[in-house]
Amino acid sequence: MSLEVSDVVAGYTREVPILNGLDLTAEDGRVTVIIGPNGAGKSTLLKTIYGYLKPERGTIKHDGQSIVGYSPKDMLRKGIAYLIQGHSIFPRMTVEENLELGGWIMGSDSERREALERIYERYPRLKEKRRLSAGILSGGEQRILEIARLTMTGPRTLLLDEPSVGLMPKLVNEVYEEISRLKDEKYTILIVDQNVKKSISIADYVYALALGENRHEGTKEEFAERLDEIVKEWI
Amino acid sequence: MTNETVMTAGSGVWHSHGARILKIVVLLALLVFAPTLIDNDYLTRIFISAVMMGLMAAIFDLMIGYAGLINFGYAGFLAIGAYTSALGSFHYSISPWLGLLTGGLMTAFIGFLAGVITLRLRGLYIALMTFFVGEAIRFTISNTPDFTRGMLGLSVPPYPDILGIDFSRGDLLNYYYLVLVLGAIIMGSLWWLVKSRFGLAFEALREDQLASQSMGLNTTKYKLYNFTIASFFAGVMGAYYAHYISILSPTPEEFGVYRTVEILTITYVGGRGTLWGSIFAAFLLIGFQEYFRGLGPWRLVIFGALLIFVMLFARKGLAGLKKYFW
Amino acid sequence: MELSLLLDPGILAQVLAQGLVRGSMYALMAAGLSLIFGIMGVKNFSHGELFMIGAYVMFFVTGVMGLPWPMGVAAAAVVLFGFGVLIERTLIATLRKRAGRDWLLDAFVLTIGMLVVMQNLALILFGTERRGVGGLVDGTFVYGPIIITYERMMIVAVAVAVGLALWSFIRYSDLGKAIRATSQDPGAAQTLGIDIQRIYTYTFGIGAALAGLSGGLLISLFPAHPTVGFYPVIKSIACVILGGLGNISGAIIAAMLLGVVEAYSSFFMSGGWQNVMTAVLVIVILIVRPSGLFSSSKVERA
Repeated sequence: MSLEVSDVVAGYTREVPILNGLDLTAEDGRVTVIIGPNGAGKSTLLKTIYGYLKPERGTIKHDGQSIVGYSPKDMLRKGIAYLIQGHSIFPRMTVEENLELGGWIMGSDSERREALERIYERYPRLKEKRRLSAGILSGGEQRILEIARLTMTGPRTLLLDEPSVGLMPKLVNEVYEEISRLKDEKYTILIVDQNVKKSISIADYVYALALGENRHEGTKEEFAERLDEIVKEWI
Repeated sequence: MTNETVMTAGSGVWHSHGARILKIVVLLALLVFAPTLIDNDYLTRIFISAVMMGLMAAIFDLMIGYAGLINFGYAGFLAIGAYTSALGSFHYSISPWLGLLTGGLMTAFIGFLAGVITLRLRGLYIALMTFFVGEAIRFTISNTPDFTRGMLGLSVPPYPDILGIDFSRGDLLNYYYLVLVLGAIIMGSLWWLVKSRFGLAFEALREDQLASQSMGLNTTKYKLYNFTIASFFAGVMGAYYAHYISILSPTPEEFGVYRTVEILTITYVGGRGTLWGSIFAAFLLIGFQEYFRGLGPWRLVIFGALLIFVMLFARKGLAGLKKYFW
Repeated sequence: MELSLLLDPGILAQVLAQGLVRGSMYALMAAGLSLIFGIMGVKNFSHGELFMIGAYVMFFVTGVMGLPWPMGVAAAAVVLFGFGVLIERTLIATLRKRAGRDWLLDAFVLTIGMLVVMQNLALILFGTERRGVGGLVDGTFVYGPIIITYERMMIVAVAVAVGLALWSFIRYSDLGKAIRATSQDPGAAQTLGIDIQRIYTYTFGIGAALAGLSGGLLISLFPAHPTVGFYPVIKSIACVILGGLGNISGAIIAAMLLGVVEAYSSFFMSGGWQNVMTAVLVIVILIVRPSGLFSSSKVERA
């Protein structure tokens, strides 16, 4: 389920577009990482892909089909899930309720039940804590819960916005271990993260954005060499 | 967009500096001379109401429009000013002229206290707190009939003559000029205040408390200033109101939520954060109310609908029309 | 004299019973306001007018058409649900789209406009006359010193039933869970495919239905007239603040407490001073515990 963004212009107001004709492809079953300085339009790109911002121009295709104008519900039905920046668990609901809400769009209770069992099998720690308020989980557990919740509907494409932000280094590793597990399971993953080193370490392909355009792109290996030079450019 | 270009293109003269001065002169002349020339008690009363309510709304605007503080117990504050002056002259023979000052000071004091207890609160919570402060004031008045005559109504003497000017209630015009003088002082002070660094601080308060705090602005201090100053002027207007209206009772219509809503509507229709908008809106709304007396409760339906309309579609209020007229 | 009376266990029990009845009334009035506040953050100052419309619906269904009172109460709830949905879609949702960041204060002012319109339309349509429906249930319950009419017991019973129904709806139903999720993190709820606009609409509808239901049920105590909503809205706001803004169960407990405190204090002071006391109580709570009596941020807020 590849995701193709081509020539996209988008922003919060018509006068000041954040994305200026951006091209990008997230290949099927690969991890694609987007790096760039603050204000380069990384989060804006994910929001635009997920339909929160309407592109002025350009196309966004998932599996060869345009997804412009889709609601979040449509996106989930098409197998695209989105982890927004910052905390997004419901802290005063139980772990289980959080997961159930991940399956909000699913038609039947039995379907949701099955998905829940699947998640519990995969994340035994969440099963243990399923009756606890999500707010009392540790920071790392909360992130894992968010990622687990993201997979309730069985999506194949994941958009992750800053999955490691605000976490201690040890927990960052945990989160990235989880993401590479998803990588092994052949999810199509598009990541935006401040933690450039960490995110590139699991990347298949990397895009470096600046001012809403893609300045550099290439495989992880190509990037590893040029990384210092690119980061210097931002400063 | 297009309207604006048309207006500016075709009306350079209309918007010129000279034209503005002329407009001010005409408006002021109307304000000062219209009631004298027409000399009709009914019309004079409308002018007094409009100026009085407009001033009350402009003071309210200092809080909501400039600092984002909603004083939803505002009518209670007016009551403090009104009753301080009225009871002062009733029980202690304090001159109503002095009452303008004592009313203002007492209300400023209560406003200061209200400011202190709302310091930790924001937005809606301030509205809730002040609402209950206002209700507590009103119910206290209605429950102390031995002192305030409560719901029986307190009759208030007129202003004694001063400088040979007759303030018996037969001479309404002098009450009108008195409120104009008060208005000039109050509007002048408010204008000066919002143009000073206080105004800047108030605006910062409205925009974002946290950000202003991080810029080193003492938000607490300016919140208190705002509340106290506004309350002082509210008290002055309350005191004037008492001696003009001649009988006070703590009903919801006069000193409760309905009065607050009336003033709030004027402020919002005039345009928040404009001061002058309130005066224009008061003339418009009070004039409208009087003109359509025959409509009965429909007037209030239209009033409420107008407030809804302003909130939804004309968020700048009358001030949104400024570019055409100014 | 009053003090010695208060030491009499029989009188104590009777006053307590009255306080609980009063508290149940307040709880009914406050539940809808608290729900809307808790989920949407909107302080609906026209809540009392929704109560008023509920009372009129009750009057027409039960008093005029002569149908049994439970149908009147149900009709009040249904009509107000529809009305609430309509208001949310046309007015509140529009404001939310247009007003941006600080829209909650504006929403409060918007509901003030709604109050003025509804109250005066009622005045035009129905006049100032009080229209009640006398005695929904006959008879009096007597147990030792406690004497309560069956009607008031019925009010308590309905209040308890409504409270339980609301609680289990919010707690266990899918829609209830989505409502809680939306109140805790609308952004996250949206990414999961929850249509938060629709959640707000339902929430407002349910809150309005609760207002209508209480207006209908309490018609024998509060006969329908255009300004009947004034007292309920003030008491509701007091309960919502005392219980912690947005904390529905807190508001219900606070309603009971307020009812009992007022019943006892009516021994010492005239009705007028009670209003002062309620206001002062609210002010004190806002000073010392702005988050309400029962709120700690970790507590489940539904």
